[in-house]
Amino acid sequence: MVTREDVENIALLSKLFVPEDELDGLTKSMQEIIDFADAINNAPSSDVGFDNINNLSNVFREDEVVPSYPVAEILKNAPEQAEDHFLVRNRE
Amino acid sequence: MGCKAVKYELVSGFETHIELSTKTKIFCGCTTQFGGEPNTHCCPVCIGLPGTLPVLNREVVRFAIKAGLAVHGKIADVAKMDRKNYCYPDLAKAYQISQLYEPLIIGGYIELNSGRKIRLHHIHIEEDAGKLIHQHGDTYVDYNRGGVPLIEIVSEPDIRSIDEAKEYVEKLQQVMRWVGISDCKMQEGSMRCDVNISVRPEGAEKFGTRTEIKNMNSITNIARAMEYEYERQVDLIESGGKVVQETLRFDDATGTTSSMRSKEDAHDYRYFRDPDLVTITVPREEVEELRAQMPELPGEKLERYVDEYEIPEKDAALLTKYRNISEYFDKAIDGVKSPKTVSNFIIGQIFRRVETEADKEVFDVAVSPAQLNELVKLLDSGKIRNNLAKSTLEKMLDSGKGALEFISESDMGGVDDNALLELCKAAVEGNPKAVEDFRNGKEKAIKALVGNVMKNSRGKADAMAAEAKIKELIG
Amino acid sequence: MGSIAKIHEMLVKKEISCTELTKSYLDEIEKSNGTLNAYVCVTGDEALKTAAAVDKKIAAGEEIGLLEGVPMTLKDNMSTKGIDTTCCSKILTGYKPIYDATVWEVLKAQNAVMLGKTNMDEFAMGSSCENSCFGGAMNPFNENHVAGGSSGGVASAVGGNIAAYGLGSDTGGSIRQPASFCGVVGLKPTYGAVSRYGLIAYASSLDQIGPITKSVEDASIVFDAIAKQDKRDSTSLGAVGGETYSKLNNDIKGMKIGIAREYLDGVRDDVKEAVLAAAKVYESLGAEIVYFDLPVLKFALPVYYIIACAEASSNLGRYDGIRYGYKTAHYTGTHDMICRTRSEGFGEEVKRRILLGTYVLSAGYYDAYYKKATDLRGTIIKAFNDAFEHCDVILAPTVPMTAFEKGHATSDPVETYLTDICTVPVNIAGLPGVSIPCGFNANGMPIGMQLIGKSFGEAQILNAAYRYQQAAPEQFKDTKWGVKL
Repeated sequence: MVTREDVENIALLSKLFVPEDELDGLTKSMQEIIDFADAINNAPSSDVGFDNINNLSNVFREDEVVPSYPVAEILKNAPEQAEDHFLVRNRE
Repeated sequence: MGCKAVKYELVSGFETHIELSTKTKIFCGCTTQFGGEPNTHCCPVCIGLPGTLPVLNREVVRFAIKAGLAVHGKIADVAKMDRKNYCYPDLAKAYQISQLYEPLIIGGYIELNSGRKIRLHHIHIEEDAGKLIHQHGDTYVDYNRGGVPLIEIVSEPDIRSIDEAKEYVEKLQQVMRWVGISDCKMQEGSMRCDVNISVRPEGAEKFGTRTEIKNMNSITNIARAMEYEYERQVDLIESGGKVVQETLRFDDATGTTSSMRSKEDAHDYRYFRDPDLVTITVPREEVEELRAQMPELPGEKLERYVDEYEIPEKDAALLTKYRNISEYFDKAIDGVKSPKTVSNFIIGQIFRRVETEADKEVFDVAVSPAQLNELVKLLDSGKIRNNLAKSTLEKMLDSGKGALEFISESDMGGVDDNALLELCKAAVEGNPKAVEDFRNGKEKAIKALVGNVMKNSRGKADAMAAEAKIKELIG
Repeated sequence: MGSIAKIHEMLVKKEISCTELTKSYLDEIEKSNGTLNAYVCVTGDEALKTAAAVDKKIAAGEEIGLLEGVPMTLKDNMSTKGIDTTCCSKILTGYKPIYDATVWEVLKAQNAVMLGKTNMDEFAMGSSCENSCFGGAMNPFNENHVAGGSSGGVASAVGGNIAAYGLGSDTGGSIRQPASFCGVVGLKPTYGAVSRYGLIAYASSLDQIGPITKSVEDASIVFDAIAKQDKRDSTSLGAVGGETYSKLNNDIKGMKIGIAREYLDGVRDDVKEAVLAAAKVYESLGAEIVYFDLPVLKFALPVYYIIACAEASSNLGRYDGIRYGYKTAHYTGTHDMICRTRSEGFGEEVKRRILLGTYVLSAGYYDAYYKKATDLRGTIIKAFNDAFEHCDVILAPTVPMTAFEKGHATSDPVETYLTDICTVPVNIAGLPGVSIPCGFNANGMPIGMQLIGKSFGEAQILNAAYRYQQAAPEQFKDTKWGVKL
């Protein structure tokens, strides 16, 4: 059972605002998707297991320094920046 | 106000983050160097640009295995990377790549001086977050530290006192530095502790509700915070209240703890396997190779110094505090009769030249272990006496030159019994005032007489023997 | 002859200069993009610059590669340095990457002429391309119909001849489904064959880049070019199965083509008939058709949505208005800024999937959903492996239907998800699948079928697809749009 509280909680975890007037609709829609997903709980249990698609292991890089990017490039897409930092300006 | 009816026992477990001193970050080739201008040790991976992927640094796995071996942990056959999801501006991807379900190291312990073992639950590898600077309500973000490799050492709640907590942290710091995986500088943040703490009536089996003090960055503050938190919890229970499980921050200025919780933090990390990284399977041969390369650990070394060399435990602890000191000592004792003499020279004289902990850790002294060894061998062979050796060592430390630069042929060889008797007689005859003082009960007056003998023998006489002889003459 | 080989020949024989060719593509984009809405960003200057370089090489008598000078496009979820890369989401407004995706780096090095970036469902979440902040891409067979999704822009551009080929990405069918809708070829390679570095992640364990082309030969050429192991992607292996282009035209006599009955359940009649007719064509070419059951397929769709949404909820956490992209104008404090930015920046479907993914990973639900789905993934992989004991390739419809009219996508998310029922199993199992046209419905809309291969069996499915294309060229119809070679 998906409750309003569940939806509020997962919205908070997801950092999304759900307007009060959409909460009931979203709860219902979530419930429908979850009902659909619940089908898997009718699947027979199996012990096949899953690790990763091609069962890969031990893919590493060596500990060798690669030059970093210029700070101007790093900050190029920042909506706000100051003194070579990303910035979240206080708007209160 | 009477005594408290019930005594409370402190119960604590630590989660210790240690930055590994690999050259590069855990998932990209950017440098791990501390400091650096803001956002200059960054690449698309560090700032979580869409589409970037992590590739695990092999050395991080090796360093973590070394850490595991240093604390007697079991190296897992299979380890996996998980995502720990939480959204915070210092975390570029909104998840930290860490290990929950299958960490690299399982178990292990730190043994305290009392012989008590603080068990470890596991050690896992993960990435560090960036740094936030709050100024006038604005938040500045620097991702240089983002992606620096960490190990997190999670202990069982086996710590029972603040002293044990301090010792645990010191021992952990010592051994991790020793095996060369981290500088463990708490002031630079390369070692940080989250302290879990609860109290229970003495004798009770059940643990009390715990709180967690986050991000402690000095041993002094750990002790202060634990003391405050212990008192707070005891007072709370005594006054009929209940401890609430929560995360706390410690305020250095006031010495108090306060809750970090805000309504914005929902605590559910939604860990799941990171699909961008593959399984780590640690070949047994690699573990054995690393095990073979492991230095003798400080605990083992200390025990050996005490047992084999008869060095007092206190001194042995000083010699094994840093690996460089013990290595210096090991080289300097090669072939000497009494390693304890070497220890005394190091602790008594050389330590005065390397006063700070940082200098002790580096232990870069003017006199090489070979030079000290040569000096001690002169002493061993009876060619020079202790006080000449001491003064020579001072000169060596001043100049960096070897012992023979300061000791001439004529200084060598001792003073035989006849000669000593003559010297003592001369001292007694030449200093009637001192003789009289001594006879009148001024014990110290004998020092002047011995000094005279030493001066006239140019330091070669045995001061103890001289004192005995003088007492015989005038006693 | 496929478009790529044709263009290559024209360039080498100097029948047309690369600049002229590029200009004609740009002109056609200018003319038709208002209707097809395939491109969300056109990079004419860069394209002409590359074209000029290719012309210079040709003039100097240098040899040029097969893909050199061929005008193409990338789905807008592949990182292109200095060029807008938006995932067709408001949240990436104005984002200009500072690095190239590996696939683009590889093609750029071969002087591929990129005409622009193409439309898609926001963050590749959708099956109609209508979840795009730029509006949906339209179907070149009938512009009142959707192009499909999520790589609708690429399929529309290729079907509409305003790109010779394009790269899409396929998480649950996003290459094959629009290819099927637009009557073109779409290859979803084996997971790990093509580097994902620079592909903006939707669901990391399912995403794979692949070509959308006019012909099987073209798909094969492009696949061979981009299937390279990449040390920046830990899950990448490259073309383990080797080259594919040189193996086209291999005999398929005796090849066992399997049809899983479950794939035909709930599929519209016209689609089913077309697929079964194709099976007959294969029989006539000497292949053997074997029927079998794959009962675990009925769990594929929920497994897919649980895993994809879980990974998406994590992958999309980073869009917080701090480092790149959209940032809300009004807020109080950091938390508020992040929530507003995300709530304003993401579209409805993306938000829905983030919430669903968060839900299935959250405390108390992880075991029942995410863990269970992952376990079932193992079961599905095993079922496919078992099936391949009895057949060489699997033939199935690509989509249970043909392209629907625009605005006709149902508002019921579960019903919409059913569109993906035939495509998701391949992603769950990490297998290669190629969709090719195999007929038309009564309204003239293309029907697609897919050939599913063993892990790294691209050569085999492309060869089988090629043989069908040779045998049934009438199914590979051109549209009225674009450049006529």
